[in-house]
Amino acid sequence: MLEVFGKRPFLLLLLYAALLLAVPFLPVDDYILHILTLFLIFAVFATGWNLTLGILGLKTLGHHAFFAMGAYVSALVAFYGGVSPWITIWIGALAAAVSGLLIGLPILRIRSMPHVAIVTLAFAEIVRLVFSNLKEITRGELGFWGIPPFDPIQIGDLTLRFGIGNAIGSYVLAAVFFLAVNLALLTLLTSRPGLTFLAIKDSETAAESLGIHLSTWKLLAFAVSAAVVGLSGAIYAHYVLILTPSSVAGPEMLITLLAMIIVGGVGRFFGPIYGALLLTVMSEALREVGDYRMLFYGALIVVFVFVAPQGIAGLTRPWRGRSATDAARAT
Amino acid sequence: MSTANFLELLINGLITGSIYALVGSGIALVYGTTRVLNFAHGELLMLAGYLILLFAVTLGWPLLVASVITLAIIVILGAGIQRLTIAPLLRRDDWAFQVVAATIGLSIFLQSGAQLIWGEQFQAVPYFFPGIVVIGELRMPWQRIAICLIAVAVMAACALVLYRTKLGRIIRATAQDSEAALAVGIPAGLVHTAVFSISAALAGVAAILLSPLISVNPWMGTSYLLKGFAVVILGGLGSFGGAVAAGFLLGLIESFSVAFAPSEWRDVIAFTFLIAVIWVRPNGLFSGREA
Repeated sequence: MLEVFGKRPFLLLLLYAALLLAVPFLPVDDYILHILTLFLIFAVFATGWNLTLGILGLKTLGHHAFFAMGAYVSALVAFYGGVSPWITIWIGALAAAVSGLLIGLPILRIRSMPHVAIVTLAFAEIVRLVFSNLKEITRGELGFWGIPPFDPIQIGDLTLRFGIGNAIGSYVLAAVFFLAVNLALLTLLTSRPGLTFLAIKDSETAAESLGIHLSTWKLLAFAVSAAVVGLSGAIYAHYVLILTPSSVAGPEMLITLLAMIIVGGVGRFFGPIYGALLLTVMSEALREVGDYRMLFYGALIVVFVFVAPQGIAGLTRPWRGRSATDAARAT
Repeated sequence: MSTANFLELLINGLITGSIYALVGSGIALVYGTTRVLNFAHGELLMLAGYLILLFAVTLGWPLLVASVITLAIIVILGAGIQRLTIAPLLRRDDWAFQVVAATIGLSIFLQSGAQLIWGEQFQAVPYFFPGIVVIGELRMPWQRIAICLIAVAVMAACALVLYRTKLGRIIRATAQDSEAALAVGIPAGLVHTAVFSISAALAGVAAILLSPLISVNPWMGTSYLLKGFAVVILGGLGSFGGAVAAGFLLGLIESFSVAFAPSEWRDVIAFTFLIAVIWVRPNGLFSGREA
């Protein structure tokens, strides 16, 4: 069950940290930093979603609702309440976690893939429509603009400014956020509770017979996953500084993230990160042919499901971990 | 609320409901028999909408001919999707999610494809049936009444096939236990394709009936797919009759919801109802009976 992480996950994370740290010292322009910032935010989004989809084996299709929740709640509180985004992003993440619990409770009692998939999808639709209909406060599909960026940070005589247009500050913030979330999740998943998660994925019946309280764990996992995704949504909101319900909670968001996760590798901790990098860079390359982007993503998902269901992360596996199904067959 | 107003909401609810029932019963039939959730089901409806537009409006063929040819093409498409994208995945360990992912990919591919081929404009089909029905103070176009009647007739025919013919017995046997069905010589693969074809035909009928009421557009499949899914869960997974009943119920709920809230909240009310029902009755409104 540890094949989820690959060989040395913490060492790999250290390598990522070194790579991310090196970027500002390379001759990169603001545009490349912008793309990398988006990649880092979406990588966290995809990783958070993959917690339920791959690691826990709960086939949820509505995590863009939590992204929208985190983004809008944080942006609204910062805009109307005049609270610093450094504080509101946590309110956004909390709101996402609470709504995760709310939607998690009914579906986790039912061990049925269709129920989970359809109810979470319907929930995402509810969230999109609510933000779209509350025109008085969100301006609906016209877009909610005027979102304050993060307050600048003074380090010695260097001032880091944030928000779109301040490429280097935004990049540093996204990189720190990315590394912190990944470190926290890895620590959590390789601890005793985390191994409980993995046990649940491998065999629900076996986990239950060992006295693991399934529904509580699943609910907790669901809330953590929703909080991570909500946090990424909040960071996104204070970076791009404008939101529309369809851009954060619409079908295109679902497809984009699903493509990232499938291409990167469901059920691999680092999988979605590769998918996010590939697709963020690709979608920038495809900007000229905007109309074809979704056509391409759709085809990409189908091709990967058929040719490489384990995604990029599953392609390079010189060693084969015994999966639960193999073990089950052996007994 | 006046009597005429009430009647109007009632009939509108039944009309919307009959479309949801057509879409939902097709999804339920496929799920009940094969345990497959087809996320590209809405695009069969969308493509049928464009086909009827092409044959009945652009080429000006008689309606019946245009409908028959549209349905024939959609049935072949449905069977093709099942054969090419779903059947090969069923042999895998993690097939359930892979089928979902693949059909979601296919769905967005077909949507974008339609957008590139036919553009983004919404195109209307003229009413097939002229005339107005007058019931007391209420005036209703014949077209709307006809939708309901035809939808019910089509679903009744479907139920007859399911419960009164050999093919129906074979389909129900496969749904109950596909391995046992194989053992007595039923070709499960063919049954799956047949079921998909019937489901595609139901979506095709829904599209033909709908096309004069809503303008045909590349994204029309998505909303009906979501409603169809909601209906399938409400009716008890995989139950044909349950999906039909839940379809009408959801249609009525949406129709009467405009009496209490602005129409842009209609879908929010419908999906909230779905989640509320799941809280109380996870196995659907009519649990206890399986189709």
